Amino acid sequence: MNETSGGPIALTMGDPAGIGPDISLCTWALRRSQEIPPFLFIGDPSVLFERAKALGETIQIRETDCAGAAAAFSDALPVLPIRCPAAVVAGQPNSENAVTVTGAIDTAVRLVMNGEATAVTTNPIAKAVLYEAGFRFPGHTEYLADLAEKATGAPTLPVMMLAGPKLRTVPVTIHIPLKEVPAALTPDLIYKTSVITAGDLKRRFGVAAPRLAIAGLNPHAGEGGALGLEDDAIIRPVIDRLRAEGLDVAGPLPADTMFHDRARETFDVAICMYHDQALIPAKALGFDDSVNVTLGLPFIRTSPDHGTAFGIAGKGIARPDSLVAALRLAAELAANTAGAPR
Amino acid sequence: MTTIGAAGTKEPRPVITLAMGDPAGISPELTARLLALAEIREAAHIIAIGDRRVLDEGAKVAGVALDLEAASLDALDRASTSRHVFVDLAHLDPADVVRGEATLAGGTFATRNFRTALELARAGNADAVCFTPFNKKAMRFAYPGYDDEIRFVADVLSFTGKVREFNVLEKVWNARVTSHIPLKEVASHLSVESILAELELTRACLKDAGHDEAKIAVAGLNPHAGDGGSFGMEEIDIIEPAVERAKAIGFNVEGPLPADTVFLRALKEGFNAVLTMYHDQGQIAMKLMGFDKGVTMMGGLPFPLCTPAHGTAYDIAGKGIADVGASREAILLAARMAKRKKALAAAA
Repeated sequence: MNETSGGPIALTMGDPAGIGPDISLCTWALRRSQEIPPFLFIGDPSVLFERAKALGETIQIRETDCAGAAAAFSDALPVLPIRCPAAVVAGQPNSENAVTVTGAIDTAVRLVMNGEATAVTTNPIAKAVLYEAGFRFPGHTEYLADLAEKATGAPTLPVMMLAGPKLRTVPVTIHIPLKEVPAALTPDLIYKTSVITAGDLKRRFGVAAPRLAIAGLNPHAGEGGALGLEDDAIIRPVIDRLRAEGLDVAGPLPADTMFHDRARETFDVAICMYHDQALIPAKALGFDDSVNVTLGLPFIRTSPDHGTAFGIAGKGIARPDSLVAALRLAAELAANTAGAPR
Repeated sequence: MTTIGAAGTKEPRPVITLAMGDPAGISPELTARLLALAEIREAAHIIAIGDRRVLDEGAKVAGVALDLEAASLDALDRASTSRHVFVDLAHLDPADVVRGEATLAGGTFATRNFRTALELARAGNADAVCFTPFNKKAMRFAYPGYDDEIRFVADVLSFTGKVREFNVLEKVWNARVTSHIPLKEVASHLSVESILAELELTRACLKDAGHDEAKIAVAGLNPHAGDGGSFGMEEIDIIEPAVERAKAIGFNVEGPLPADTVFLRALKEGFNAVLTMYHDQGQIAMKLMGFDKGVTMMGGLPFPLCTPAHGTAYDIAGKGIADVGASREAILLAARMAKRKKALAAAA
């Protein structure tokens, strides 16, 4: 995939005490058999070195930059070094190293914004650990959006997509209590989420005329108001507006019947109203291969669909499947974006 | 065991009344296929209720030959059990059926079949009741107060106990604390008592179905089951205490588990059932795990009541391609539960 990209994928370290270093090593080791696109690991090389030792692997690490990453990639794992101030123990997060965790993200965004890297793939972070160090964002994605806003000066609405081999879903609301979902579902939010999703499907996913399936909120999509009013009162008018603007949109669809094989053939993405409405089908249809993609950013960002898994860090049992899928998808999106008219 | 049938013969199979559902969909062809299946004949004696002309149309579509005993409602006890029985209410001319259309005529047909099937079970003439799919719109034309099957059954039987819908796949059942209510009302319907009551009914129904030591998973309500209170408090305030109380009284139960992986875990770890907090939390996963093979069972009634989970399938009605799998499973489950229920009652 080297020839399709102008630079490597910037891969952030994530929490060094989590499985990020483990799966990054495993993924690099699979570079030939799995055709892993070249990436530049941004973080502490000694963490990788120690983790490789713990896993009983011998590994070549080369400190380099974006320009040198692709050339190094077949022989050594390329690392842009940012060092942790405190000792790293697998499974034992330390908020003193939070500065390196966020520093790796800052660096990755800088590299992708100035064109040296083609995409950002992030390893998992632990919010609680960062909060102890004064981190003020609800999560990874919001932090990336803030960096994007600072870089471009334009307001950014990050949109989460779960992309699997069989299904793409986008939750309109994400990490909020279920009972707060109806109030959070404003027409504006559903509209903007849909427009950003359709735009990114065109520009980055190579879907010329994206077909959106928008889920209802209530059982049976409200059944004409008998089982809830939001489907007709809030979601349907947004669908009418999107259609009037020329988008191919179906809905509001009953959430329980929109994900089976035949139904999925009729759309490119499902816009869901809440976290589990998007996550239940995504995980049922592709547990290990699902990738998180953040849409709406001025750059490509993918991440594996799991957390730091402190409990298994350094034990050699963390599966790299989702990181492999995240890197591959990042490369694919970068190739599509490079070929698409801006 | 039941002694319905020709003068004093012992009928070892449970007797199941089978109501023909909406005539404009796949119900006629499904009913015909069911009555022709050897597997069903071995498991149950069926008393099917509908209109013979509509059934014969279904048999033609399905390409099956039917060998049925005709009987009237007041002479059921004299009917032979060597063949399935058909009670011809002669109340719908096939010429009045428009395929793919929900009509008053179709709703009247289905509600009357269903009512008759339920009344026969109440009178002790059957051990279980099954039906092929209804169309809710048509049911409402015929019975304006029609809310769902549970409500209709309660009305017909004047039953005031707790009736709950279970969705059944071969490997796992799904019970839910709330069902057909707006999503925003779900959280306020959850209580330790409501969750415990569902667990008790779920365990009882699983026992009737042959699972003596049922293992039940309980889903959380919020994303990541609340993530320790970050995304909602219902797990900590309500679901965890309910699970702990259930464990204390001997239930094999675990939870609250994150909803996005609870069914994957249930399959992997051998849970017999998952208790979900709201309709789509269970329905999305269940439908992805076997959309065409699912069975809906109404638990809590004096007798098992089962139906295929799918609908009337107006789009493929009359084409002869409808899969009988879910309807077959519905009857086999009803038969298994009826048999077990009787054995348990006889032992008591």
